[in-house]
Amino acid sequence: MSISRRKFLGWVGAAGLSTTIGKPASAATNKHFAGYPDSFAILHDITLCVGCRSCEAACNKVNDLPQPDRPFTDLSVLETTRRTTTKAFTVVNKYDNPKKSGHPVFYKKQCNHCLEPACSSACFVRAFTKTKTGAVVYDASVCVGCRYCMIACPFEIPTYEYDQALTPRIRKCTMCHPRVIEGQLPGCVEACPMEALSFGKREDMIKIARERIRTYPDRYVNHIYGEHEMGGTSWLYVSGASFKELGMREDLGITPAPELTAGALSSVPIIVGLWPVLLAGIYAVSKRKEKIAQTEQEQAVASALDKDRSEQSQSEEES
Amino acid sequence: MVKGKSLPIGAGISIGIVILLIFGMGAFDVKALSKTPDQGQPIMLRPDIITFDTVEVFGKLEKPKAVFLHDQHTDALEKKNKDCTTCHKSENGSMSLKFMRIKDVNREELTKIYCDNCTKCHSETIAAGEKAGPVKCDECHKERPEIQSSRVEFGFDKSLHFRHYRAQKNQCDRCHHEYDPKSQKLFYAKGKEGTCRYCHNKETTSDGTEKVISMRFAAHLACIDCHQKTEAKQMDAGPVRCGGCHDAQEQLKIEKVKSVPRIKRGQPDNVLIKTGDKKGRIPTMMRVPFSHKAHEEYNDTCRVCHLASLESCANCHPLVGSNKNVKNGKEISLETAFHKRGHQSSCTGCHESKQQDKNCAGCHAFMTNTRQQESSTCLRCHMVPLPERTGELSTSKAAKMARLMPRLWKETFGPIYTVDVPKTVIIKDLVDQYEPVEYPHEKVFDTMVKQLDSSKLARYFHYEDTTLCRGCHHNTPAAGKPPRCANCHGKPFNTDYLFRPGIMGSFHQQCIGCHQKMGVEKYLSCTACHKERKKES
Repeated sequence: MSISRRKFLGWVGAAGLSTTIGKPASAATNKHFAGYPDSFAILHDITLCVGCRSCEAACNKVNDLPQPDRPFTDLSVLETTRRTTTKAFTVVNKYDNPKKSGHPVFYKKQCNHCLEPACSSACFVRAFTKTKTGAVVYDASVCVGCRYCMIACPFEIPTYEYDQALTPRIRKCTMCHPRVIEGQLPGCVEACPMEALSFGKREDMIKIARERIRTYPDRYVNHIYGEHEMGGTSWLYVSGASFKELGMREDLGITPAPELTAGALSSVPIIVGLWPVLLAGIYAVSKRKEKIAQTEQEQAVASALDKDRSEQSQSEEES
Repeated sequence: MVKGKSLPIGAGISIGIVILLIFGMGAFDVKALSKTPDQGQPIMLRPDIITFDTVEVFGKLEKPKAVFLHDQHTDALEKKNKDCTTCHKSENGSMSLKFMRIKDVNREELTKIYCDNCTKCHSETIAAGEKAGPVKCDECHKERPEIQSSRVEFGFDKSLHFRHYRAQKNQCDRCHHEYDPKSQKLFYAKGKEGTCRYCHNKETTSDGTEKVISMRFAAHLACIDCHQKTEAKQMDAGPVRCGGCHDAQEQLKIEKVKSVPRIKRGQPDNVLIKTGDKKGRIPTMMRVPFSHKAHEEYNDTCRVCHLASLESCANCHPLVGSNKNVKNGKEISLETAFHKRGHQSSCTGCHESKQQDKNCAGCHAFMTNTRQQESSTCLRCHMVPLPERTGELSTSKAAKMARLMPRLWKETFGPIYTVDVPKTVIIKDLVDQYEPVEYPHEKVFDTMVKQLDSSKLARYFHYEDTTLCRGCHHNTPAAGKPPRCANCHGKPFNTDYLFRPGIMGSFHQQCIGCHQKMGVEKYLSCTACHKERKKES
C-alpha cells in the first residue's frame, strides 16, 4: 500500500485518542450490588456435615432427576472427589481433617448463586436471571448451547448435556426457586438431619455465621466463605478446616465477575460506533484534499499549456 | 524500501518482538517441575546439637556456624577413658561450661581457641589411625541441613525433686541459694527455697549491679557439675550426656516415684484465701476456703500456681486495679489471677481444662467459654457459711478454720441423685422415614453418674439433683423436672430465634455431637438409633 508513514501514524493516533472519550463503564450503575433486599441465602456449616448424602437424595427427588448408578445410601462414593453432573446438581465430598486424623470433613458443593453471576454476565442471550429470591435460574428456551457460562463460572458448576443431541441444556442447582417462591424450603435444606444447611435472609445467615464463629472460636476458621468472594454469593460457608484443604478456591478475590470484563466491553460501542465514522471522515477529507490538489494541478498545467500555446501562436504570428 | 533487504529485516524484528513478549509474560519464571529433589543424606534427629555462635557478638560472621554434636564427642572420649576435663577447664572446684577457657576474651583469641584445639585433637586421632572430625576449615564451617534438633525441654517435677532430696539426705542448701548483693556471695536462706526459675530466666540478665545467668547456664552448671562429681565417686548419678535429659525417649526412662511425700516448706493444709491488700482494704465477698494440701496432690509442680514466688497470691496481685504499673503481677488483678479462663494457673482455668476430658466433653464441649456463670456456681467456692456457724468462716483463725474444713466439705461432696429418671424415652416427633427412637435414658444417665463419681472435682460441682440433667436439657432453670426438647425447638429457621436450631437439627446435633466428642463410635450411623420405616406400597 502506498500510504505514507506520517499518514499512518496520524490515523493510529486519532483512533487511539478517540477511545479516551468514553467514561469507564461498570456493570451496574451503582458502586456495588449487595444483592436484592430480603433475598435468601443458605449457610452451610461444614463442621456439622456428616456426609450422609440426604441432601443429594432430596435434590434428586425434588428435581425429578434420574436414579444414579449407586444409591444415595452408598457412602463409598465419598472415597473419590466428585463434581456436579447433569444428573446431580449437588455432591458431597470427603476430605482428610489435618487437625484430627480419622475424623474426615465433608462439604456439599453446588451452584453458589452469586450476587453478580459470571454465567449471567457471559451469556449473550440472557438465559440466566438473578431473581429477587437470590436464586440464579436458567431458561433453556433461549439457550444456544455456546457454553460460555461454563467457561465463565469460577466454581466450574454448570454442566452440559452433551449426550442430548437435539435439545441439550445447561444443568445446575436452582436453589429450588419454584419451591422458595411458594414459601417452602429448598429440598436439600429440608432434608439435612444435622441442620448443616440453614435457610433465611442473607443478612440473617451472615449474622448466624458470625455468632457461631464468635461463640466457638476454636471450632471455626474466622472467615465466612462467600460473604465477599466474587462480589458475594448466596451460598455461605463456615468451616473448621481451612477452605483450601477442602478444595475451595481462595484466590478468587472480591471483584464480581461482570466488573472484570466491564472495562473492555465498554470500549466496544466506542470502537464500533466511532471509529468507522472518524476514520472514514479522515479518509474522505484527505482524499478530497488530494483530488482538489490534483484538479488544481491539472488546471495549472492546462493553463500553463494554454499560455504556452498562445505565446507560441503569438510569436508565430509576429514572425 | 529496498525490496531485497526488507524480508530478513522484517523477520528479525518480528522474532525480536516475540522474544520480548515471552519475557514480558514471564514464561521463563516457571519453575522446572521435573527437577529431581536433592539426593541429600537422611535426616539425623539429635538432642545434643550445639552451634558455635560465640563469635557472633563481635560482628558479622564470615563462614557458616559450625555444628557440634556434644554427645558424639562425650561418647568418643569415654571410649578412650577421657572425661570432661579434656575440653572443660575448672576454677575453684567448679567446671566451666565454656570450651577450653574460663572467660571469653576477644575475637581472635576465641577463634584461635576453637580452631586450634579442635583441629589438634582431630589430626592426632587421624594420625593414630581412627575416625575423627574435620581438619579443613570448610568441612566444619558448612551448613548441615540433615541434622535437626530433637531436643526436648526438661524440668523438675515433684518426683524428681524428691529423689534429689533423698539422695542429698535433706540438705536443701546443696541447691537452693539466695544472692547477697552487698557481699556479692551466694548464701542459703532457710524457709525461702523456691524454684530456680524464680530468679534464673530464659536469658542472662544484668542490671549493672547484679548479673543473673540464664536458666540454661544455671541448670547445666549446677546439675551437670554435681552429676559428674557423683559419678566420679562411683555412685549412681543423673545424666551427664545431653541426651540423658533432653532426649524424649530417655526422658521416659526416668524413674517416677509413685507417691511423693509432701515437700516440707511450711505450707498450710487448709486456708481461707487471703485477699486483703497492703492498703488495708478488706474484700467484700465471701472468702474462699482452699485445701492447699489436696491441690498439692493434683499438680506435679508448685510453679503451676505459684508463678513468681511461693507466697500467697495477694502478695503480688493487686486487689484493686490501677493505672500505675505494679511491679510484680503487673496489671493482673487478683480477680484475673483466680478466674482467667484458658490459663492453667488460675483456679477457673485449671478446672475448665479438666472439662476437656473425654468423659466430660459430651456436655461441656457445647458450653461456650464466654458464657456468664450463674451465682450458684460462684457460691461453690465463695461459700456462704452454714447458719449454725455464723461468722466463723470469715473471721476465724486459720488453725480453727482448718479443723472445720473437712467437716464442711464432707457435707457438700458427693451428689445424691434422687431425681426420677425415665427408663426409656420414645421420641416420635419426626416419624417419617424412620421409626421412633427408643432412647435408653436411664442407662445413659447411670453411665454419666458413674463417670462423674470417679472425679472429685466433677462431684463437687455437680452437686444439685438437676445439674447433670442440664447438661443435655440446657438453657432451662433447675425448677422441677426438665422440659422436653420440642418445648423450645420447633420449626427450623425461625427468625425470632435465629441461633436456635429446629427440632430435627437439635436432636442430631446434640446426640451425634455428644457421641462424637465422647468417642462413642457405636451410635454414629442412622439406623443405630432409629430403624428404617418399611414403606407400605
